[in-house]
Amino acid sequence: MSLRITGRAAISSAGDHRGALAERLAAIGSDRHPGIPAGPVAAEPLPSGGMHAFPGLDIRQRLGRRGTSFYDRATGLAVVACGDALADAGLAVDDENRHRIGVVLATTLGSFKSTSDYTRDTLTNEKPYLVNPVLFPNTVMNCAAGQSAIRHRLKGVNATLAGGPLAFFNAVRYADNAIRRGYADIMLVGAVEEFSAHRAWATAIEAAGDGIGAGDGAAVFVLTGGDGGPAVRAVATGYGPGGSGAAALTGCVRRVLAAAGVSAAEVTLLATTELGRREGTESGRPPRPSVTVRTSSP
Amino acid sequence: MTQRVVVTGLGPVSSIGTGAADFAAALRAGRSGISRITGFDPTGFPHQHGGEVCGFDPAAWLQRISTAKWGRSSQFAATAGRLAAEDAKLDLERIDRSRAHAVIGTTSGESVVVEALTAQIVADGFGAMSPDLLAQLPAGRLAHAVSEELGLHGESVTLATACSASNYAIGYAYDLLATGEADVVLAGGADSVCRWAHAGFYRLGALTATACSPFDRDRSGILTGEGGAVLVLETLEHATSRGAYAYAEMLGYGVNCDATHPVAPDRATIAECMRIAHRNAGVDPSEVDYICAHGTGTPANDLVEAQAVIEVFGERPPPVSSIKSMIGHTMGAASGFGAIASVIAIEQGFLPPTVNWVHPDPQIPQIDPVPNQARPATVRVVQNNGFAFGGNNAIVMLGSPR
Repeated sequence: MSLRITGRAAISSAGDHRGALAERLAAIGSDRHPGIPAGPVAAEPLPSGGMHAFPGLDIRQRLGRRGTSFYDRATGLAVVACGDALADAGLAVDDENRHRIGVVLATTLGSFKSTSDYTRDTLTNEKPYLVNPVLFPNTVMNCAAGQSAIRHRLKGVNATLAGGPLAFFNAVRYADNAIRRGYADIMLVGAVEEFSAHRAWATAIEAAGDGIGAGDGAAVFVLTGGDGGPAVRAVATGYGPGGSGAAALTGCVRRVLAAAGVSAAEVTLLATTELGRREGTESGRPPRPSVTVRTSSP
Repeated sequence: MTQRVVVTGLGPVSSIGTGAADFAAALRAGRSGISRITGFDPTGFPHQHGGEVCGFDPAAWLQRISTAKWGRSSQFAATAGRLAAEDAKLDLERIDRSRAHAVIGTTSGESVVVEALTAQIVADGFGAMSPDLLAQLPAGRLAHAVSEELGLHGESVTLATACSASNYAIGYAYDLLATGEADVVLAGGADSVCRWAHAGFYRLGALTATACSPFDRDRSGILTGEGGAVLVLETLEHATSRGAYAYAEMLGYGVNCDATHPVAPDRATIAECMRIAHRNAGVDPSEVDYICAHGTGTPANDLVEAQAVIEVFGERPPPVSSIKSMIGHTMGAASGFGAIASVIAIEQGFLPPTVNWVHPDPQIPQIDPVPNQARPATVRVVQNNGFAFGGNNAIVMLGSPR
């Protein structure tokens, strides 16, 4: 059994309509997009350089006012993308199926801005406890997945995986398991990161000159068990302790090809998320190998 | 062919004891781990107590990772993982490391790192954030710390499903083992006491002053706590082949989602989660000897949890106690500590008490909270509850080894 992809949605700096990302990729070729001024997205001062935020996110226009006024940006992106993915799949959620439809979202640490701003208020307010209780759930990393479930009334398996650039692959693995084990019939599987001054500065400070500014967006797939059509054939992740990332990646490649039942020669495209950053051992960024394999469907 | 899964190692790093023996003795004695908070300056907060791991000394335990490069929550996870591996007598040189995974749950990840960076932002602006601290920030590092410390090559996964996250982690570990993907999984959770959660719970009206008293009529809230709770889960086949001692068998688990409110628990969905867990584990409610409660000590949680128990188990449910009365609410580690307490209950034959309990709650007279003193009991099947913000319910079923 593969995981059939029955719907998808993406919101990125390229836009939020169905073909936006493909149009951007086609238009840009092999160039690096310079980014855009992100001033309208963040109220705070930003580091210099282009950013990759989606400036057109209007939660109220997309979702209405009810229940959305305290969303942070990550939550808004996730809830909108989940709704778009459900619509793309033509999936009507009702009392018959809502217990069997779940959501699993990937993140790095939830909303850095929400947690940091909450902490800031405990430091700068006259009384340290005078924080806004309504914003407290935004400081918890499962906020986006929980609010997506509330908005779309999805009562099945609901999870959040934290793993930076690798988290989406962990999320697909998690959803695959939930479907294979019979815990859910359909899973919305996605990843979300919000643009904020916090992330923009963190990216600028950490990247040490590689020049790619922070971006944001959400991507959600609707996955279900079965064969035929576009599908996730296999996913493998692993860890390379003590600087053994390269060997771990090789192991992932072998395992994912074996699990997909394809030879290396059958792979038509190998996409990487390589940023050209230095890899640490146990310092900043342990090697975290991941492989995506796309093959022509049989 | 589904593999049977057993628990072979326990690694608690808690406010009432580090290591399985100390933690078990403290549970049996009904000891409190609550003290005045020192992890941040609580001056100005109306309530100033929590369940901190006082004198936490990770360098005494950790062999491979440097405490200078990892945040407090990662250190809790790695230390708990090291303790669990030692408790399981796991010879890391002899296992297939590519089939050894780490799955760690958390609510707030490296919250202490967020707070240190925020102090830098407040003092000197965004540009003053330390690159060394930023490198410690990603929450996925909690599982990586365990993988790095023990040299595990399998999946290294952090589940951020808030206060039920350890049960999610234990559940996913169970599936990796049951389906033959893994031989060994280090699973549990970790979190650290922090200002923002202390403030947030206070403003929700969910924080009590000095004594958490779950299921008491006059209960008034949680105390935030911290620590690391990791278990070694292993296929029965693997455990048997290396002559390991099995504390307990993992029978299965259930998860679902309220999808109603970000913080208020939903009785019907929680009851349904119990039924899902029983069904997946092949357990009848009449077989459950003990429920290790989520039991936060807030008026709302304990009432809803008790009503869900009564809905599923009837008017005479098994004893229901909350170890949060002793260690506070350790957030993402909470259901990991619950799982460890459940395993100890099975292995040593006693029910951990709910301490600080004075008054029966007339709304839930059916609930026996095992008040104040541990109780000898034959414990064959335990239900370990975990509920969370976001409506993330997860329940793990554990049984005596067969």
